Amino acid sequence: MSILKLVARNLLRRKGRFVFTLLGITIGMASFVALLSIGGNMQNEVTRQAYALGGNFVIVPDDLCVYNQIGIITGEAISESLDFGAFERIAAIEGLTVIPHLTQRTAIQNATVTVTGMLPAETKAFRGWEMYAGEYFASQDQQAVVIGQGTRNRFDLEVGDELTIRGEAFPIIGILAATNSNDDVTLHIPLAIAQRVFEREGRISFMSAIVDNMERVDEYATAIMNVANVNVATNEQLLNSVLMILGSVNVTLQAVAGVALIAAAFGIINTMMTAVFERRREIGILQAIGAKGRAIFKIFVLESGIYGLLGGIIGVGAGFLVSMFVAPIVAQNNEAMLMGVTMGSSIDVQLVITTILFSVVISIVAGLYPAWKAAKLTPVEAISYE
Amino acid sequence: MNNIIIKTENLEKIYGKSQVKTHALKGVSMEIPRGSFSCIIGPSGHGKSTLLHLIGGLDKPTKGDVFIDGVNIAELSKAEIAEIRAKKIGFVFQFFNLLGNLTALENIQAAMMFGKVAPKEQKERALELLALVGLADKANAKPGELSGGQQQRVSIARALANDPDILLMDEPTGNLDSESEQEVLKHIAEIHKTGKTIAIVTHSNEIAQQAEMVFEVRDGTLKV
Ligand SMILES: Nc1ncnc2c1ncn2[C@@H]1O[C@H](COP(=O)(O)OP(=O)(O)OP(=O)(O)O)[C@@H](O)[C@H]1O
Ligand SMILES: [Mg+2]
Repeated sequence: MSILKLVARNLLRRKGRFVFTLLGITIGMASFVALLSIGGNMQNEVTRQAYALGGNFVIVPDDLCVYNQIGIITGEAISESLDFGAFERIAAIEGLTVIPHLTQRTAIQNATVTVTGMLPAETKAFRGWEMYAGEYFASQDQQAVVIGQGTRNRFDLEVGDELTIRGEAFPIIGILAATNSNDDVTLHIPLAIAQRVFEREGRISFMSAIVDNMERVDEYATAIMNVANVNVATNEQLLNSVLMILGSVNVTLQAVAGVALIAAAFGIINTMMTAVFERRREIGILQAIGAKGRAIFKIFVLESGIYGLLGGIIGVGAGFLVSMFVAPIVAQNNEAMLMGVTMGSSIDVQLVITTILFSVVISIVAGLYPAWKAAKLTPVEAISYE
Repeated sequence: MNNIIIKTENLEKIYGKSQVKTHALKGVSMEIPRGSFSCIIGPSGHGKSTLLHLIGGLDKPTKGDVFIDGVNIAELSKAEIAEIRAKKIGFVFQFFNLLGNLTALENIQAAMMFGKVAPKEQKERALELLALVGLADKANAKPGELSGGQQQRVSIARALANDPDILLMDEPTGNLDSESEQEVLKHIAEIHKTGKTIAIVTHSNEIAQQAEMVFEVRDGTLKV
């Protein structure tokens, strides 16, 4: 006989209560893990995308709010309120390489995807694209589409297949080598063609820019804003503002998880208090056969600690499963679902261990008061209870 | 070695902290010799159980002293008293004696655990004790699967788990029919022969007749 065996017997005595209490802490820990890793994944994803943008900064319409700037990072279509003239004026500034983008939406097999109109030669050089298969655009007004690895895998497409964009046929002439950015999941077509089929003649959504001399970024920014009605955001600024939004989303998620945990902790306190009350007589017997207050305390703390251990282990598993499926949906980004495979499956060992420990600690803390109540009972109080 | 194993001096117990106070014991002095078989009798509510609890260190006296083997347990800490309960004293109560979710064998092993018997030795010794009370075949039965008399015999076996010098029983047969009572008494008598000091609170004349000493508690005092 050992204390642990005694505890195991006690736990399983009331199987229904055991299961429901365990479910409480499990759900609490699962939501904690799920919400935390959803938040974490979103941040990782944003950071990765921002660096994949390639330019030193982006040039956006000056009325584009911070929230819409997320679109540039996540690859959503954003409004096309810049005109091509602005691009030409900015492109004329010495020491600056600028490329324009017109982002729009279309559908493949009923799924929404982003189409980007761009200047083929300039963009290829700017982004450093390599071809995986097929050919790249031969001219500025070739009615054709180049796709990325993500799109190819998702829709099972090959060179020579044909896509329909706004009712017009676009043959796939080439597939890019993986870039690990939005470019993998975007349909690339020449800017002039995009402006025509989407009826956005002379308009663009945003621009990416590289400067020759990083130390003069501020000068360039001023120069740019002098020639056009635009805002300039360095990738870093863009990232920071997006992370700020995500940060407040995270705080909210964590608060929700916190509430779930507190509820679970009270579930444990409640169960343990009931157990102490029900088992008063038994506590008296244990004392009569020589159990010290310390042993009684240990028995009850162990009991609640085991809830935490089991709840933590099951909860972590459930939480990661949930976050794997829910994270892409939360990000409301179909493309993210594709990448979800890589981003959800990287289970963070440290998070696993911390969470299980955390669960155990919470449960032990929740068990302290009931255990203290139990240990404090005098043998006679416990025994004369009938 | 001192011949008196249990000694009380002017033992007083007052229950209740506020308005309602019960003066359960009003100065009890008694001596129980080593190896004796004594009975505590008296009318209901007059303080028998209270006396037994104080002797066994289950409760603290309001006044007075209890000596077990010459040690004043009124002066010991809770943990030290628990140690004495584990090693020197075995208890048997009238009702719900056993831990319901453990088997007969495990009940005895649990007591051994608190008496710090090595886990390896526990099982063998526990089986011996069950055999002593004639229940070797019920080792793996849960209390719910045993009759009242059998449960009391398991309790007695458990009280002996750590080979205590003293066995304190509070109406061990109060709940049993006369046949079961006989069976239990037979085992108590056998245990007494092994040299244990036994004190039993009882309403049973039969037990009282077997006893070497009889203490009668009336209204919180010993009637001589
Ligand atoms: N835990 C307690 N709190 C308050 N009063 C108590 C407590 N235990 C016993 N008493 C009171 O102390 C007095 C003596 O009780 P005790 O249990 O010692 O009697 P008893 O002789 O064992 O009676 P019985 O034969 O019915 O078991 C009674 O008046 C009882 O009400
Ligand atoms: Mg009594």
